Amino acid sequence: MAEVKVKVQPPDADPVEIENRIIELCHQFPHGITDQVIQNEMPHIEAQQRAVAINRLLSMGQLDLLRSNTGLLYRIKDSQNAGKMKGSDNQEKLVYQIIEDAGNKGIWSRDIRYKSNLPLTEINKILKNLESKKLIKAVKSVAASKKKVYMLYNLQPDRSVTGGAWYSDQDFESEFVEVLNQQCFKFLQSKAETARESKQNPMIQRNSSFASSHEVWKYICELGISKVELSMEDIETILNTLIYDGKVEMTIIAAKEGTVGSVDGHMKLYRAVSPIIPPTGLVRAPCGLCPVFDDCHEGGEISPSNCIYMTEWLEF
Amino acid sequence: MDEIALRLPSTMTQAEIKLCSLLLQEHFGEIVEKIGVHLIRTGSQPLRVIAHDTGTSLDQVKKALCVLIQHNLVSYQVHKRGVVEYEAQCSRVLRMLRYPRYIYTTKTLYSDTGELIVEELLLNGKLTMSAVVKKVADRLTETMEDGKTMDYAEVSNTFVRLADTHFVQRCPSVPTTENSDPGPPPPAPTLVINEKDMYLVPKLSLIGKGKRRRSSDEDAAGEPKAKRPKHTTDNKEPIPDDGIYWQANLDRFHQHFRDQAIVSAVANRMDQTSSEIVRTMLRMSEITTSSSAPFTQPLSSNEIFRSLPVGYNISKQVLDQYLTLLADDPLEFVGKSGDSGGGMYVINLHKALASLATATLESVVQERFGSRCARIFRLVLQKKHLEQKQVEDFAMIPAKEAKDMLYKMLSENFMSLQEIPKTPDHAPSRTFYLYTVNILSAARMLLHRCYKSIANLIERRQFETKENKRLLEKSQRVEAIIASMQATGAEEAQLQEIEEMITAPERQQLETLKRNVNKLDASEIQVDETIFLLESYH
Repeated sequence: MAEVKVKVQPPDADPVEIENRIIELCHQFPHGITDQVIQNEMPHIEAQQRAVAINRLLSMGQLDLLRSNTGLLYRIKDSQNAGKMKGSDNQEKLVYQIIEDAGNKGIWSRDIRYKSNLPLTEINKILKNLESKKLIKAVKSVAASKKKVYMLYNLQPDRSVTGGAWYSDQDFESEFVEVLNQQCFKFLQSKAETARESKQNPMIQRNSSFASSHEVWKYICELGISKVELSMEDIETILNTLIYDGKVEMTIIAAKEGTVGSVDGHMKLYRAVSPIIPPTGLVRAPCGLCPVFDDCHEGGEISPSNCIYMTEWLEF
Repeated sequence: MDEIALRLPSTMTQAEIKLCSLLLQEHFGEIVEKIGVHLIRTGSQPLRVIAHDTGTSLDQVKKALCVLIQHNLVSYQVHKRGVVEYEAQCSRVLRMLRYPRYIYTTKTLYSDTGELIVEELLLNGKLTMSAVVKKVADRLTETMEDGKTMDYAEVSNTFVRLADTHFVQRCPSVPTTENSDPGPPPPAPTLVINEKDMYLVPKLSLIGKGKRRRSSDEDAAGEPKAKRPKHTTDNKEPIPDDGIYWQANLDRFHQHFRDQAIVSAVANRMDQTSSEIVRTMLRMSEITTSSSAPFTQPLSSNEIFRSLPVGYNISKQVLDQYLTLLADDPLEFVGKSGDSGGGMYVINLHKALASLATATLESVVQERFGSRCARIFRLVLQKKHLEQKQVEDFAMIPAKEAKDMLYKMLSENFMSLQEIPKTPDHAPSRTFYLYTVNILSAARMLLHRCYKSIANLIERRQFETKENKRLLEKSQRVEAIIASMQATGAEEAQLQEIEEMITAPERQQLETLKRNVNKLDASEIQVDETIFLLESYH
């Protein structure tokens, strides 16, 4: 009797079975599994069968193919999204992937092109498609008003794109900033005045004329003049403008960790101050503010003798 | 000593020369102005060249030079081969603007007597002590009630105090030679003064009282504009201090103004007590620290406590607290240099003057361009270099406005642009453009504007006076008539009649003229304050 080589067919060589096993594994490791993991799990399956199964899952949109430093990763796709992307082709999926990765900062169309290596026309078609499917949206960046960044539909755009508390719909809220500026200054001014009038010893007087950025922030929040929620950092940017106005000075002191308002062991203190000199002599003369100063000379059309600014100033 | 006669061209700007010309003309007349401006323009020249180049007679040039030298506006040097060259001191000419401030300061420190002493010295350039005392005594007596006179001794005392505090100083004089040189005398004497003699008051016994003038033939306000070199007055008695001449010490006044500015800055930023402490420290450093030093000598807290003004009742601990606060303040005017003696403190003069100059710049930007522009200016000053986008973000000013303001300040030379190319081809799209403020050059630009402004104010003042020349002359004639009539005992009715020669509208016109001239005058002095702060920074 001749020996018959019998090929033992493993019991679960059924393609569907393989696919289900792979999906189970993916569910087990939601971050993704490598080819090695699948091989370990089902050592009896040949590489080709594995590849077929994976390809089928990919084309059905149930798996995501990712590249990592170690090699290729397979990840279970979100079933909801899987449903959405059913109608899209691979290119769209790629673009969608790139946009998703950009998070809430969004990504510019040119950058999408670099990352995907797709031609511009294709990109534009795909973007329009995705927008109509309400999967992504375009947000105008505050930095460059012509630039549009794309991000996933349901994401909140990051501050750097919208401008944060100071912008509403791409418009810089000048009056809002002005009002905050004035309110902060009034607060610091009255604090300095009460300190001055307390007539205590100089150290205490000086220390009580300071307010920390946290104090100012609390005061502004309680005032309730802002529709938008303001952070302490926001208030600090306002206080900085007061420093550049020459109305306020700042000191940084070391503060114990945990003290209210301290950041990294430091606290910023602000105080209202007066200018060190009154308006200087030059600006009290008409020539100091004159717009046609350079054209003025005796004997010319504009001269000190016939200067109308001087005449006005003398009559005042 | 330079071997080659250097004829350096003038480094003065047109605006400064114009201002010098106006000042010289107003104080000394046409001829002195011509010679003075010529020397300012051309540098140093000998006598004959001046006469030739200006087309003036030798005699007139000599007289003009006499006046200018008397007032320290021109100096001379003997060069090789006996050539004497004359050189104008342009910056000294510009100091004539500050005379009212010097006089007023003396008034606040040493009352009317001191005021008149310094005024006489400034108006006459140089005087002997005896001459000053006599003049001032006479002038003060004039203002006193009938029968009262000013004693020479009182005036002498004030003079001595002024010398002790260095507000007046001796002029360099001819050195006394033991053996008279048998050779020919030098073409011009070389004047010297010993450091220790500069404030040494000669031992004079000036006895006398001021005399009243009977008629106003030559009062100080109406002195002839072209001044003659001063000889001592026609006294028959020998002059006890002949040859010892005195002049006002302008540097000392400048030191005082600088101290005043620092003290008032501290008062504005902190409080009265802090400023008094700083004033005390500056007073203690008056003699020990030179004007150009960056810091005063260190003073101990104990010393400061002892030197506080008599009326000031603060305890030592409170003083120490104030000193600590001053040293910690962001102003950085006061620094702590050690711990001995209860703490050693210095005044940071250099920083103080820089801050004052910067504050002046900021003040001009604020008044000329507005608060938002001032905000941008201070921002760039603090951060040193900024891109346009950064300016918008830090200052929280909308992009369009910010751009507009930056360009405005750029075009008026308050700011400059620093280019930093990213690529070797300096392509604009690949270059950083950083805004920055160069304080020194902005200050220089503003100084220039100050000089021209003052020249404008003087020209307008002269114009206003010229316009009303006829009326002024009429008014002066009427005054003279009234005065002489009063002297001869005329009746009230007659005086009334003469006064009515000037009609009511004319009186109004004169009032307006007086008000305008005063306003322009005051403005000149105010602009000079700006000049002082800006120049102190260099």
